[in-house]
Amino acid sequence: MEEKLKQIQVEYQNKISSADSLKDLDALFIALFGKNGEVDQFSKQFKSLPKEELKTVGPLFNQIKQELEKTINDKRLTINELIYKSLENESLDLKNTEIKKREGHLHPLTIFENKIADLFKKLGFVQFDGPEIDSDLNNFELLNIPPEHPARDMWDTLYISKNLLLRTHTSNSQIHIMKNNKPPIRMMIIGRCFRYENLDARHEHTFDQFEIVYIDKGVSMANLQFLSEYFLKAMLGEDIKARLSPGYYPFTEPSAHIFGTCVFCKGKGCNICGKTGELELAGAGMIHPKVLQNCGIDPKEYSGIAWGMGTGRMAMLKYNINDLRLFNSGDLKFLQGIKK
Amino acid sequence: MKVSISWLKELVDLKVSIEEVVKLLPLRTIAIKEVTQDYIEMDMKGYNRADLLSIRGVAQEVAAITGSELAFKDPEKPEFVWNKHSLPLGQDKLPNTPVQIMEPSLAEAQCVAKIEGLTFGKSSEAWVKRLESSGMRSVNNITDVTNLIMLEYGQPLHSFDAKQVENETINVRHATEGEEITTLDHKLRKLTKDDIVLADTKKALDVAGVMGGLDSEVNENTTSILLSASLFNPQMVRKTSQRLGLSSEASKRFYHGLTKTRLLQALNAAIKMYQELGGKLTTATLVGNFEDKTRKVTLTKKKLDELIGVDIPRDKVESYLKSLGFDLETQGDSWEITVPYFRLDIELEEDLVEEVVRMYGYEKIPAEKVPESKTLQDESPIFKKIYDFKTKLVELGLTEVQTYSFYSTQVLNALGFNDSNFKVLVKLENPMSAETQYLRMNLWPNLLEVVDKNLRQGFKDIAVFEIGKVFNNVSGQPKEEWRLTVALMNNTDNPLAELSAITTKLSLKFKESKPQAEGVYLFHPTRFLQVGEIGGLAEVHLRVLNELGIEKRVAILEIQL
Repeated sequence: MEEKLKQIQVEYQNKISSADSLKDLDALFIALFGKNGEVDQFSKQFKSLPKEELKTVGPLFNQIKQELEKTINDKRLTINELIYKSLENESLDLKNTEIKKREGHLHPLTIFENKIADLFKKLGFVQFDGPEIDSDLNNFELLNIPPEHPARDMWDTLYISKNLLLRTHTSNSQIHIMKNNKPPIRMMIIGRCFRYENLDARHEHTFDQFEIVYIDKGVSMANLQFLSEYFLKAMLGEDIKARLSPGYYPFTEPSAHIFGTCVFCKGKGCNICGKTGELELAGAGMIHPKVLQNCGIDPKEYSGIAWGMGTGRMAMLKYNINDLRLFNSGDLKFLQGIKK
Repeated sequence: MKVSISWLKELVDLKVSIEEVVKLLPLRTIAIKEVTQDYIEMDMKGYNRADLLSIRGVAQEVAAITGSELAFKDPEKPEFVWNKHSLPLGQDKLPNTPVQIMEPSLAEAQCVAKIEGLTFGKSSEAWVKRLESSGMRSVNNITDVTNLIMLEYGQPLHSFDAKQVENETINVRHATEGEEITTLDHKLRKLTKDDIVLADTKKALDVAGVMGGLDSEVNENTTSILLSASLFNPQMVRKTSQRLGLSSEASKRFYHGLTKTRLLQALNAAIKMYQELGGKLTTATLVGNFEDKTRKVTLTKKKLDELIGVDIPRDKVESYLKSLGFDLETQGDSWEITVPYFRLDIELEEDLVEEVVRMYGYEKIPAEKVPESKTLQDESPIFKKIYDFKTKLVELGLTEVQTYSFYSTQVLNALGFNDSNFKVLVKLENPMSAETQYLRMNLWPNLLEVVDKNLRQGFKDIAVFEIGKVFNNVSGQPKEEWRLTVALMNNTDNPLAELSAITTKLSLKFKESKPQAEGVYLFHPTRFLQVGEIGGLAEVHLRVLNELGIEKRVAILEIQL
């Protein structure tokens, strides 16, 4: 038995060292460790061995097995390095420069968000490039959410350090916008936000939000109702009605939740909307006087609307997508197959 | 907050059906999570209406939105059981026990009442039903009193077995660093000096506002208790509760905010319930300040009209606010409004506007057109650039992808990251997992994962791009910038040729170059081109592809935008 083992070891070590391609190595690996390979065959014979002999053969078997495995791996690295070395002999060749015919596709979120941007451009809103990494100050404190405020429970935050974080909402940009522009202001933010979230079909830790900041003299909740209708009708259909409902955000006062007619049952009531005929689609409110003040805008003179929503959630409704995770999946079947 | 329907009906002479209450609450007050036969659960996450964490508070709100009358009255102070005219004849003051607030920042008030002569046992059916219809379980008669009172008044209370408290002393103090206490859930908790504890002369008895200690728990031998009612520092309670991962019904109420008025009412009501159980009040000690500050806010009709955009008649405004418990004094065109003690969320005129508009009905606000306007601010040129690149790339036949802003462990390995060079990456302090610990500093590695994934799906040709932000540490400070990247797997052994043609179509100029520094590890030694100072295109080194399990050649382009 021992003899036989040592014989196999020598035989394969020779074979491995003379192998000169990854393909040969793979074949040797399978011959050794594959189903019905040498190792498999050998261990099957153990049952019939006397106990005494097994005591010496067993450890030897394991040792040889490990050695062979290592030899193969080392050889693989050597061959790889040779292949990598040979890359130097490949030249830069840009002669065949024809571009293949393919069908291009925008990401569904881009399509959806471009539509939103166009819609608000018509009202004079321009996009603002807000930072994705921001301070606790801009993401929370100046938005009237001091440390240890119970409202912080609404955002499970990913921190980089004590004072730096991945923005949990596009609302951080409100601060940048208001500090750097004089009213009247019409700006919008479309961008990536992050939260500490475990993934499932309805939850993402990385998602997009859309938000507008509209500040002028005499801006009112009636304007907020208008903007809600303007948005929902254009994005989800003329038959969608918008309804405001009380809610709470620390950075708006009064605050509102925005409901729209359920896109699936058109208001009749179905399982998706929980028989209510409506879906909660956005959040908004009149910018809190403390937030205006924090950014140097006098709340006695100006009022403003902040209006925002998750574009992924709504794009799911629009394009009938059933899993939020698909947006970041890079799955080409999904990205090329979606009907827009 | 689960609102027991039967209990609510005892506290409000409802003029409408429960179905109507369920319909009105989300229209006027707060979203509802669930309705069962027993309770209405309101969605309180992050909400600022501390008063709605008590059924009395909910009753006040429901009475206001349904136009019903309350079936209870707040008790007057002289009626409290520890005050002179409630005590037996000849007694004008109860003795005190030692109670101290060691530092004023820890608590505004601390009360301890000793009750003797109790018999431990089961609660009455009526109590059990009340608890269960509020979504809580009955524990025993002595403990149930504190839970029922918390549900009714929103004020958490705690009963200690008096025998287990040294020298009948209950002090409010900082925990010492590393101080240990086994809490009611049988877990040993290690405390820090930022935590508050209730303590006797020897040991901590209770993690303040969060959970009681096991040693002083009420048990079947308990006959005397020290009933404790506190107003702890809400921020400190929240911190402790978060650090210990222990969010309790009590801690939630502490950090949403409590009032002194309700605290005294709750203490009084609890003592009365213990008296019903046969207990005798023998000491009462009240330390701190028990006057809630009166808050006055001015509301002008002009502000109201302007912010809502609707002219709500003055008499309506007045009746809405009165029904919610506000006192109004007319002053010309405005009102001076006294805020009821239980509405801690009302500070500013805008808060009152919300009160009025929700009573009026958000759903009745008409739409008023936002006038069109020329652009008022300058748009960053980045958006046009992104739009143009995306349009062009799609025309050229590429598919846009979006990948996570993180490097997966697989990507980190393939890129050869190790202890010496992790520092350039921006790292999260609290990632969900190792897969989200480091932020991407380039886009192309994530596109290799996309290539791999789709090769496995059977794709034979993959031409994808992404535009997004990348992050890196520049002398210790995280920086972010926009990037464009393209990855091409065209099933040839020289995909860079086609990619260079695509690059030309994007009006980008490139020149032959050689990979430098870590580029030597990542890219093909000769198939490497530079796009000015903003980026480059290259065939990815087989080593990197091997690590990712990709057996095809892949070329990438990445530039700053």
